[in-house]
Amino acid sequence: MPRPSDRIEPVLHNRLAVLRAERGLSRQELADALGVNYQTVGYLERGEYNPSLELALRTAEYFGLPVEAIFSRLPFVPMSAQLYPDQRPGH
Amino acid sequence: MTSNPPRWIASRLDRLSRLSRRNRRIIAVATLLGLPGAHAWSSFWLTTSMPNILWGPVTFVLFGATIWGAVLLYGFVRNRADMPGAGLDERQRLMRDQAWILGYRVLSAVILLATIAVGITVLGFGHAVTLDATTTTAIVLSVTVLIPVLPAATLAWIEPDPVEES
Repeated sequence: MPRPSDRIEPVLHNRLAVLRAERGLSRQELADALGVNYQTVGYLERGEYNPSLELALRTAEYFGLPVEAIFSRLPFVPMSAQLYPDQRPGH
Repeated sequence: MTSNPPRWIASRLDRLSRLSRRNRRIIAVATLLGLPGAHAWSSFWLTTSMPNILWGPVTFVLFGATIWGAVLLYGFVRNRADMPGAGLDERQRLMRDQAWILGYRVLSAVILLATIAVGITVLGFGHAVTLDATTTTAIVLSVTVLIPVLPAATLAWIEPDPVEES
């Protein structure tokens, strides 16, 4: 039986920092919009806190994006690689 | 009518809210060990021939560790260790619940260890354990002061390093 210390914490990747930067929002402004503390936004961005389903949906609603565009169980592909898939270093 | 605290208080509270986890942990340990340490030091001092002048300053430092530590911990935690926690967001409520659970685990461990120590002393070595007025006062004072501080201390212990506002 695995010990509690052996449990792997589920990692939830997110694009919050990118979306916030795109919209020119401070952490405090995003936090106010989502109804959370600005520290919570920081911990979400750092991946140190996984949001509840309700907060994830509220965040998606605020940005006007599907929730899977903001949160993912797999690392996000960098936007530059998505926009320019053939542009690799040295090519 | 609401009023903001004076600027010097606000700036100190702001600095407290940015304390690193390492510093908070040092403060939490000092707070929880200061008062029992002062009683232990007094008991130890009575059994030795140390100069009288040493007792006061050391006791003052140990008592001060608990008093100032508690002030700093409450300054950092503010209302975030309270129940029911109106105004806390979901992460803050989660951290508060974890802090209370950890606090009670620590308390249970201390009580269990104390019970085992008394059991071994009485049953294992056949010594009688007597609670004189000094020891009883020390235990009552420590319990009265430290148990209310415990949730704040454990929250300060587990809260990650703060995020800079941007």
